[in-house]
Amino acid sequence: MSKKILTLLFALILLILPSTLFAITAEEIVKSMDALATYDTSYSTGSIQTTDRFGTKESTFKAWTKGTSESLIEFTSTAERGQKILRTKGSLYLYYPDAEELIRLQGAALRQSVLGSDLSYEDMTEEKTTLNDYTVTLDGSEVYNGHDCYILTLTAKTRQVAYPIQKVWVDKETYVTWKGEYSTSQGRLLKNMEVLSVMQVADRTIPKETKIDDAMKQDSSTMMTFDTLQINVSLDANLFSLENLTW
Amino acid sequence: MTIKLPAVAFRNIFRNLRRSILSAVAIAVSAMSIMALLALLECMETDMAKNLTSFYTGQIRIRNVDYEKYERYNPLHLSVDIASVLPVAESVDGVKAATPRINFPASLYLNEKNNGVLGVGIDFTKDAAFIDFDKLVTEGRIPNAGANEMLMGSILAHELALGVGDKVTMLTTTATRGTNAMTFKITGIASFPVGALSSTTVYVPLDRAQYLLRMEGQAQEILLLTKDGYKEADVAKDVKQALLSQLSLETETKQWKDLNTIYSFLVIAKFIYYIIGAIFFVLGSTVIINTTMMVIYERMREIGTMGALGMQGKELTKLFLLEGSFISIAGSTLGTLIGVGIVFTLSKVGLNFTEVMSGVDMEISSILYPTVNWFTALFVWIYAIIISSLSTLIPSRKASKIEIVEALRYV
Repeated sequence: MSKKILTLLFALILLILPSTLFAITAEEIVKSMDALATYDTSYSTGSIQTTDRFGTKESTFKAWTKGTSESLIEFTSTAERGQKILRTKGSLYLYYPDAEELIRLQGAALRQSVLGSDLSYEDMTEEKTTLNDYTVTLDGSEVYNGHDCYILTLTAKTRQVAYPIQKVWVDKETYVTWKGEYSTSQGRLLKNMEVLSVMQVADRTIPKETKIDDAMKQDSSTMMTFDTLQINVSLDANLFSLENLTW
Repeated sequence: MTIKLPAVAFRNIFRNLRRSILSAVAIAVSAMSIMALLALLECMETDMAKNLTSFYTGQIRIRNVDYEKYERYNPLHLSVDIASVLPVAESVDGVKAATPRINFPASLYLNEKNNGVLGVGIDFTKDAAFIDFDKLVTEGRIPNAGANEMLMGSILAHELALGVGDKVTMLTTTATRGTNAMTFKITGIASFPVGALSSTTVYVPLDRAQYLLRMEGQAQEILLLTKDGYKEADVAKDVKQALLSQLSLETETKQWKDLNTIYSFLVIAKFIYYIIGAIFFVLGSTVIINTTMMVIYERMREIGTMGALGMQGKELTKLFLLEGSFISIAGSTLGTLIGVGIVFTLSKVGLNFTEVMSGVDMEISSILYPTVNWFTALFVWIYAIIISSLSTLIPSRKASKIEIVEALRYV
């Protein structure tokens, strides 16, 4: 074989190698998505603005998270002041200042609306362990609102999840999920999600304003906005305990 | 030919007494059934009217003008301001009493399960004119205003294994379209005449319901009772006008009959029962028609003889008509009297529909006490006589058309 042909072959291999050896898989994209939304600890403040046939209503909140499965939300707006939602591994509790006991939500109750919004308790506090519950396929790429995105389809492995099928548009650079369509296993649309703006926190790009539309509700949409987000903050060890909730 | 037809007709009844008795019994059974049915229906109508005006809508109900339009969304924010609306409504001529209420869907959280109930926020003092809670409370006492206390329906308390002194957390959607929960202490158990109230309803003080639902100073509705001699529709119109002119407030102010479709159906049903009654009497009358026809064929020679002696066809018709009428009168009288007796007995012992009505969403008491209405009794008695007598006219007319020569040959 001549030297020329060998050089050409080598150059060709060099050209092909990066796209095969370094091509990202669907699972890796999902892991990056989950990693982006998971913090060792975090503290945030924000608001939920719900618009329905009767007008627009705003509720404000403070939220703390730890790892993939622990979160605490406390509402600070007048109408809901002091109400809390605690998510620990496998359980979700509601605390109301005038109730002498905690209300534990489980099963279908987790899909109830939070404060009449298009968000469910599960949406607000879901565990960021997507690959445990879903199998994922990479459908292709698309530029969505000026962002080069992967298009992924997530299909539920179990019947325990709120959305059997999720189609998401994930930013190729930042791994922000710009758009999501959540459906039943028969393909009936349940919810639409769209990130309207992002913010930079440390070295991460985090959704700041997210619009959610419950397809089951007419004339209704919800805007969830994070005003502040601090990550890797020091938190009280008992913050996610039931004792702390009633304190 | 001069003959005392009534006397002859009366005597003829006894010529075949068993057959006459059978005819009379058929009419009696019809009269008795209709008497009992109408008494029951009247009782249901009165009972439903009482329950609706006491527990549900008052005689007049004032609501936010847009409430009905969005009712299925539980729009508690479409409320009425008690401080401004109540005094104006109370000042209208013909208004006897007024009370604010809030009805709201809720769930009682017990053993990690939510149990759906209907909560009612109520001013127990003002509401005394509408609901006699003292009579209904079977255990404990009425909740105090300002306290997180609850009065629970007896069936609900039994199903949830709760009693006086127990605490229960109630979860609901607020007027701000959020959620809220409060723990209430059960201070009383009440047995309501309507099964659905006993099995689904909890009453809490109005001020606590307002706090729970974020409705300070507001009510979902204001209910009114009217003074005797005033027409509810007219008073409702005056109240609506007063609120509009004095407060510039457009409201949905309606009399109770316009709010309850089931009651309207019951009123229609009463007329249908009158028609069913007529059919009953006609069916009962088939026996007397049959008897009269048999009598005519049996007495063919006799009819021929009377005709030969100069009796006119009209007189023959009258004779058989009178005979049928006498049997009708006897049957109707007997049936109506038995019907009155049955209704009188039921007015003392009651008719228990608890099993039948369980799960039926109708504002009728589980135990009904029909009362004897003498007007109804008179109506049934006359109604039975007229229809039965007219029924005998058909075969009686046949007697007048019989040829005398043919009748005399009849064997």
